[in-house]
Amino acid sequence: MLKQLRDPFRYEPPESLGRGRGEGKTGKKRPSKAKDTTGTLKRLWRYLAHHRIRMSAVFVMIVLSTVLSLLGPYLAGTAIDQFIEKRNSGFIPFLIGMAVVYGLYACTMWLQNIWMIGVAQETVRAMRQDLFAHLHKLPIPFFAKRQHGELMSRVTNDIENVSSSLNSSFIQLVSSVLLLVGVVGVMLSLSPLLTLLTFMVIPLMVIGMKWITNRTSRLFKEQQRNLGDLNGFVEETLSGQRIIKAFSRETIVIEAFNERNKRIHSSGFWAQAISGFIPKLMNGLNNLSFALIVGVGSLLVIHGHGVTVGTILIFAEFSRQFTRPLNDLANQWNTMLSAMAGAERVFHIIDEPIEAADEQEAIALGTMKGHVAFHNVSFAYQDGHPILHHISFEATPGETIAFVGPTGAGKSTIIGLLCRFYEPSSGLIRMDGRPARSIRRDNLRSHMAFVLQDPFLFEGTIRENIRYGKLDASDEEVEEAAKQANAHSFIMRLKGGYGAKLKPDGGGISQGQKQLIAIARAILADPTILVLDEATSSIDTVTEIKIQEALQRLMKGRTSFVIAHRLNTIQTADRIIVLQDGEVTESGTHDELLLQDGFYSKLVNGQVVLT
Amino acid sequence: MRTVFSYLNRYRAAAIVALALMLIELLIELFQPYIMAKMIDEGIQMRDTEVVFLWGGILLLCSVLAFAVGILSSFYAAHVSQSFGYDLREKLYEKIQSFSFANFNSFPESSLITRLTNDITQLQNTVFMGLRIMLRAPLFIVGSIIMAFVVNPKLALWFAGAIPFLAVFLLLVMKRGEKLFRSVQQKLDRVNAIIQQNLIGMRLIRVFVRMKHERGRFDKSSGELMDRTVAALRLTEMTMPVILLVMNAGIIAVLWFGRVQLDAGSATVGEIVAIVNYATRTVGVFSLVSMIVVNFSRARASSERIEEVLVTDSALADGKASPSSSDIKGGLSFQNVTFRYPDSEEAILSGISFRAIPGETLAIMGATGSGKSSLLQLIPRFYDLTEGAVYVDGLSHNGMKLERLRNSIGYVPQDIVLFSGTVADNIRVGKNDASMDEVMEAARLAQIHETIMRFPNQYDTVIGQMGVNLSGGQKQRLTIARALVRRPVILLLDDCTSALDVRTEAALLEALKAMSCTTLLVTQKVSSTANADRILLLDDGRLLASGTHEEMQRKSGLYMKICLSQSGKAGAAHA
Repeated sequence: MLKQLRDPFRYEPPESLGRGRGEGKTGKKRPSKAKDTTGTLKRLWRYLAHHRIRMSAVFVMIVLSTVLSLLGPYLAGTAIDQFIEKRNSGFIPFLIGMAVVYGLYACTMWLQNIWMIGVAQETVRAMRQDLFAHLHKLPIPFFAKRQHGELMSRVTNDIENVSSSLNSSFIQLVSSVLLLVGVVGVMLSLSPLLTLLTFMVIPLMVIGMKWITNRTSRLFKEQQRNLGDLNGFVEETLSGQRIIKAFSRETIVIEAFNERNKRIHSSGFWAQAISGFIPKLMNGLNNLSFALIVGVGSLLVIHGHGVTVGTILIFAEFSRQFTRPLNDLANQWNTMLSAMAGAERVFHIIDEPIEAADEQEAIALGTMKGHVAFHNVSFAYQDGHPILHHISFEATPGETIAFVGPTGAGKSTIIGLLCRFYEPSSGLIRMDGRPARSIRRDNLRSHMAFVLQDPFLFEGTIRENIRYGKLDASDEEVEEAAKQANAHSFIMRLKGGYGAKLKPDGGGISQGQKQLIAIARAILADPTILVLDEATSSIDTVTEIKIQEALQRLMKGRTSFVIAHRLNTIQTADRIIVLQDGEVTESGTHDELLLQDGFYSKLVNGQVVLT
Repeated sequence: MRTVFSYLNRYRAAAIVALALMLIELLIELFQPYIMAKMIDEGIQMRDTEVVFLWGGILLLCSVLAFAVGILSSFYAAHVSQSFGYDLREKLYEKIQSFSFANFNSFPESSLITRLTNDITQLQNTVFMGLRIMLRAPLFIVGSIIMAFVVNPKLALWFAGAIPFLAVFLLLVMKRGEKLFRSVQQKLDRVNAIIQQNLIGMRLIRVFVRMKHERGRFDKSSGELMDRTVAALRLTEMTMPVILLVMNAGIIAVLWFGRVQLDAGSATVGEIVAIVNYATRTVGVFSLVSMIVVNFSRARASSERIEEVLVTDSALADGKASPSSSDIKGGLSFQNVTFRYPDSEEAILSGISFRAIPGETLAIMGATGSGKSSLLQLIPRFYDLTEGAVYVDGLSHNGMKLERLRNSIGYVPQDIVLFSGTVADNIRVGKNDASMDEVMEAARLAQIHETIMRFPNQYDTVIGQMGVNLSGGQKQRLTIARALVRRPVILLLDDCTSALDVRTEAALLEALKAMSCTTLLVTQKVSSTANADRILLLDDGRLLASGTHEEMQRKSGLYMKICLSQSGKAGAAHA
């Protein structure tokens, strides 16, 4: 029991505050942080500004409802004075008038709420969609550094943060400011001296709020970062569940989870506790100003400075009226800070440099012949660690080029360069005689079809997955492609046939079947250039024979690049390029290379020995 | 709802303190007018400056006290809500880790992620808010009603009469709101799922230039999420205007009937003023109530989603037998095993029987979809068998402790799963406490040591999720090293050499031979099966034939066909 009561004071001081203290001393970091906040606010505002008309309508409604909310109590007071104490006539019309005021008040409030919800949610949707669209523009290497779940957290948890505060903050902020202006006006007209006294708490409030928000703005960011971290960890461990189970890692991942969980616990605690100070601070200052007004007011009455007991009473009430909107403002500011922490993380991704833009004068080709040439192409993922050195080769339209070489020789990298996931560090790639860079990336890719290493399938039906190769393909075209890829017969055996639903990871069918679907997809795309990256490797040999027939047909008339490990696939190629350690060591037809007595002939002989 | 909130019990004392502190704060506030009266009566009226200072000082002290109490309560409330969230997340994650694959069928990954983060955050916020204002609002309302009845029961009826209607209305809103917020969370799951798929399939989407198509899919889901959110919020935000309307109508009624009663002499002006006053103050508090309604409908939706997971039991019952590791020799036998995936009606394997003695290598061959991968997955008991039994060293594997069973197995799946972290971290997944030497030894066996040594940071090279920055062959060998580092008694290789070149593969198989563990190897290559002790040929879920390479060539036409198709001559003939 006692231990429980001591628990709230046992939290480690948060990381971000530890740093904060250091920064406070040097005083360097602060301006940039403030700039970030205003920058983020401005960008948020730009989203809201799309709904300028509705925002104005909301604004008008807030003004109206604020006025009506003040009018209500005033009318109730008048009713008592005029019609109950004094029993004047005309009570019924007056009550009807009151009913109208109350009705309008409810109406304006309702309208401002539903309009604001619309604006807020549309804003949030726009942010979500911008963020998503941006993911498709980021360079592929960007994703190598990021956990999926961490990115997902930005689209869900961070945007949710923005959403929940946008719903109410704007209304509260505006109505608080309006109330404040009104109250200060009335107070000044009553007694400037006591008004000044009420204002005396403002510096204290500013200092207090600064102290709090300096911490909470950092804490909120830390909290969101920790939440993103946890999201990333959860996503990764859930998608790798098979391995975790197979290797009995459950307790270990639970421990690792809890480490992250603890970080959220601690940063969440501090963020919530310190942001909870705000209403307390406001309440405290409220009470302080109450004490000041009553105390100093009493002294003024005693020493006769034209202040009456009545004025003290009114002021005591008004000081409450004065601090309440301030309190709301402070609370809303706090919510805004938490929203800002979310928005900043969203904008952070939107600000990531996108895939190198197409060159200004890049063109779109209506048709392509399929001539591809590498001139002296070198590539390095990281400076100083080149993967490809001075690669040159040429493929004339309709030719099939096979890449052979040990794992890690750079075959996949060449494919990556062909897809333009990356650009060469030096050298030139030409397509139909033009530098590849001078062709719009999307246009170039639309002339190509790919069967990549991971035959990734989407959640959806088999038909939808094949149709991915050509979105406007008819059902007949889809089935025809599946037949050519020899996928038709197994699809028909599935429950639901082409309408059979695949799970998110394409689960429910075997790896080989996934490959068949990926091939059908490529067949349907009917490309000029075909890229096969180890596509035929996990399909059983019997099926593979059929597939090779289909591929032969498919490759006819198209420029094809194939990475395969079966020599009999390679043998049919027009040219074989042997890659070793990022360099082309041999190149020629199967027969030519056999004569060279190099790596290739050893490889072929090796396989003969193994068989 | 009950199950989820029972996690608050551990923090009952702290929660009570938070509530008590809040009440103290409230009391101090209520005390203020009394002090003010004293100051006016004894100070101003008597022109006594000292009394003014005295009571003024007390008033100041009170504000400081209220402030301190408030800060304390903030600590307690934050502690309770954050610890509650922490416990829930921990329990939920533990639960999910205990799930079998059959369980995962009913809870998509993306939905579990939302439940673990977003839903728990909602609950946490509700608890925090609840501790600070929940008691305050009802107490205030009840207090006002009682006071109004004390003042004048007949008039009070007009103001209190509205309250049951409001209560029913709020309950209805909460019920409907819960449903709406539930569908909001479901739409959020969808949005989450689409992002996840896009991140996984990013390369494919780029090369097929399907960005617009994916954006369309996402925008549709995102729009649905917006529509649901707007519908839910519009419903709950309706409460405030309705409350205002009803309560204000009550005020008008009090005024009207007040005058009537005043004329009849059964009420005084003071009474009317007091009741109108109570009514206006209650209206103010009701704005808190409407906030509670929004939060509660949300929290109820979220708590149900969390509870759904918490009450689901693992579909796999753990066994009891825990043979010591030296007792597990690696003998493996399938007896008449039939298996059907939980959500499917068709058996993927039927009537499979075979036996492997310790140290034997069995190659499993068969067409795509013939059930090879499913067969392997039954050995570490990812799923329960539909019929038949699997024995490990004569012990039914259903009766063995799962951890014991799985710890003796090295499994290399067909689809590559790697975690973000260093190369060494990923190999250590196979054996948590493996020394650096063991890690390197495993990498050597898996033929990837030299490749790793060429990486800029060698074993400390950080790889991305799913090993995105490695080549296919590198990834495969890393997953093999991960399985070998634990020195398994039974090794399951699910066609995991497909991206390896012939030379590397041969070296790998050679190295595996020296490990002398019972090996089940799914493969398509005759080059691999020829070296196996025995070959199992699967067709459409049935064991078509089994035997040594030579036996199979004699008795199985299909096997012969496969052999022929892979010999160099057949390939050349094909060209």
